[in-house]
Amino acid sequence: MIPAPRPSFQRPSFQRRSLLLGAGAAFGAGALPRFAIAQADQRPSITIAVQKISNSNTLSVLREQSNVGERTFSMIWEGLIGRDLLGGLKPIPRLATDWRRISDSVIELDLRRGVRFHNGDEMTAEDVAFSFGPEAMFGDTRPTAQGRTIEVSGDRIPTRAGRDLPPEVPAVARRSWPALERVEIVDKYKVRFHNATPDVTLEGRISRMGSEIINKRAYVEAETWFDWARAPVLTGPYKVVEFRPDQSLLLAAHDAYWGERPPIRQIRLIEIPEVSSRINMLRSGEVQFACDLPPDQIGTVESDKRLQVQGGTILNHRLTVFDKTHPQLADARVRRAFTHAIDRQAIVDSLWAGRTEVPKGLQWPYYDDMFISDWSVPKYDPAEAQRLLKEAGYKGDPIPYRLLNNYYTSQVPTAQILVEMWKQVGLNVQIEMKENWSQILSREPGRAVRDWSNSAPFNDPVSSIVNQHGPNGQQQQVGEWTNEEMNRLSVELETSTDHARRRQIFRRMLEICEREDPAYTVLHQNATFTGLGRDTPWKAAPAFAMEFRAHNWKA
Amino acid sequence: MLRFLAFRLSRSLLTLVLVVTFAFVVLRLSGDPALIIMSPDAPPEAVAAFRRSWGLDDPLWMQYLRYFTAILHGDLGNSMRDGRSAIALVGERIPATLALTLPALALKLGLGIPAGIYAALHRNSFADRAVMLLAVAGFTVPSFVLGLLLVLVFAVQLGWLPSGGQDTWMHAILPVITLGMGGAAVLARFTRSAMLEVLGQPYMRTALAKGVPWHVAVRRHALPNAAIPTVTIVGFMVGSLLAGAVVVESVFSWPGVGRLLVVAVANRDLAVVQCILLLVAATMITANLVVDLLYGVLDPRLRMGAREAA
Repeated sequence: MIPAPRPSFQRPSFQRRSLLLGAGAAFGAGALPRFAIAQADQRPSITIAVQKISNSNTLSVLREQSNVGERTFSMIWEGLIGRDLLGGLKPIPRLATDWRRISDSVIELDLRRGVRFHNGDEMTAEDVAFSFGPEAMFGDTRPTAQGRTIEVSGDRIPTRAGRDLPPEVPAVARRSWPALERVEIVDKYKVRFHNATPDVTLEGRISRMGSEIINKRAYVEAETWFDWARAPVLTGPYKVVEFRPDQSLLLAAHDAYWGERPPIRQIRLIEIPEVSSRINMLRSGEVQFACDLPPDQIGTVESDKRLQVQGGTILNHRLTVFDKTHPQLADARVRRAFTHAIDRQAIVDSLWAGRTEVPKGLQWPYYDDMFISDWSVPKYDPAEAQRLLKEAGYKGDPIPYRLLNNYYTSQVPTAQILVEMWKQVGLNVQIEMKENWSQILSREPGRAVRDWSNSAPFNDPVSSIVNQHGPNGQQQQVGEWTNEEMNRLSVELETSTDHARRRQIFRRMLEICEREDPAYTVLHQNATFTGLGRDTPWKAAPAFAMEFRAHNWKA
Repeated sequence: MLRFLAFRLSRSLLTLVLVVTFAFVVLRLSGDPALIIMSPDAPPEAVAAFRRSWGLDDPLWMQYLRYFTAILHGDLGNSMRDGRSAIALVGERIPATLALTLPALALKLGLGIPAGIYAALHRNSFADRAVMLLAVAGFTVPSFVLGLLLVLVFAVQLGWLPSGGQDTWMHAILPVITLGMGGAAVLARFTRSAMLEVLGQPYMRTALAKGVPWHVAVRRHALPNAAIPTVTIVGFMVGSLLAGAVVVESVFSWPGVGRLLVVAVANRDLAVVQCILLLVAATMITANLVVDLLYGVLDPRLRMGAREAA
């Protein structure tokens, strides 16, 4: 069982309401059978303490580009193809029951029948086409050939529904779907996605965050885009009751959900920025889940015999990123020395209590047959690092390392360990503390080494190495790094349909970015930890997303 | 009096302009809201589009001019995070903050001033030393330490009170105590010092020599004279009613103006930060103005002095 909340400070209004409802149920049980059924709802309500609910203060999958968003959105949003959160993240039918390729650039999907939105409307092909249309997603942008910078106007985009679409929304949407031309309505329950170019990742793109389906009527009826984005009407197992930005999000079970009945009556996410406060609330029974626990707090939580910590690796790798325009890093051998000087396993063991791992470069096993299983991060070899530095003629000039104060879990201690490891081989790296990302990425002189993390929104290398380090990726856009061969291969990887060739390209990209001309080096896989009651019938998924569908709540 | 008020008001306006300008320049030069709000993982074109849509790619002076003109028209702008009016956002947080700071102010006054007076009237006694020991402890322990200690004892160990949030009146108890204790300690020390100084004045000896009873001398002569430094401190406390609970609101996850300020500064959500700063500056200026006027009420010599100077 989950730890019982202490009755002394329960909301009085709930108690009054419960009493009134209970009395009403007893009084009218014979005359109002449906009402009586509602009162028999024995499902639990839970409270989840999180560090952040949404950075952008909206619940829009296209505006909120963060990991915390993924956790919140997984409860309310759904796409046509889902990910099996507890089954290796494999693609599974969600709002589409089946799909097939019509050509290299066209895919046809059969929609699930009887899916109800949170407002009771039935989902049809019209909602799907609207979700991928100019009013909700693409604004006035046009599909582009891959590898070309996406043009997005900075003006607010008036739509036919009479509201402005924030310009960052189509920009994010076009990044997810650079060449999607249109979604064709074949019939009420069948749609076709038409891409401008051949693309083997269409299924992956359909399953990624940002490709979920919205209710057309609710979107059109909302007064402003932001009004809609604070209470979107969707198909997920839980619906938004109240969103108080920076404070809390109250969700209720969507009892007309197409799948099994949601097992939780109400889910309340509350924003508790301080980790100690989240742990205190868990220990005092005020919350049933405490998210975003750093690894050094696992022991503290588990010292309470009623509690446990679940979680582990997620689809996100921590990287050290290089700016090869910095004079000391222009020679690839210096960057290669950086990569060989890191004892990654020591970092995993000391700062993560061994609860994460060193991955095989910037890729994940869920890439399936695109996963290069014999690849690995550069070997920890201080002698090789010293040899490379000597060969490059590095004289010990200082190399700045712009660092944020624990934006990532254990970021500062990791940086301190890295600097010491680099020092061991002769690299003179100097930490410069910065307050925010614009200071980190600023093009002013002195940008050389920084931290980053990369995710894979869908199961193909296009979603990570191309998206982040290719010609449109952040690293090249901010002017840190570029490589002509990598850029050529990025376009080919996006458009090629030859599987063997694509594997070959991906391997070559890894060689370029991680060995020959390092753009980055992978440190370790990221992990997320959640504290909860020892008997809570719930399992954490290998993702930020929290799964609260019926199959993951075995009460 | 009118000249005095006009002078103070014009100085206050200048202060407000300086606050707004300083905050604008510092916030704009130290971070790009687009990158912070959109997150470092956002596509570069999305960040660029965000910048353009909020005019962040214009020269700084142009942004400042636009912002300042809007303020003069009463438009404090919209939050870049969720598009809502900054005034509305701040306005809906004020009641939550006042729900902490007003009871905390009452606690400071109700505990600090009597304790200071009592300690002064019983100078060098055990009670005096005990009060001063507590006062020193009160203002040397940082509020976040005291807050966490209270949570550990009353929420985690005893389970009597909630550790954070704002659902019921019981959620306010620990933050109010945390906020109130430090201020009460400061007031106790100031009141004691002021009282001791006054009690040693010749007019107190004269009053007692004339046969005025001790309690009457204290009430009529000592307390009003000792009130001036205390009123100054209380003025500061009143001035910080809106933004004086930043740390406590963070520790107790209390959704007030202080926490909004922290989030807005971190996100460089300029309109919201400026709105809070203007509000805080206005409150502080008003409180100081009232304190200045109170000086005249409490001490007739100041009124006379002002008149002679005029």
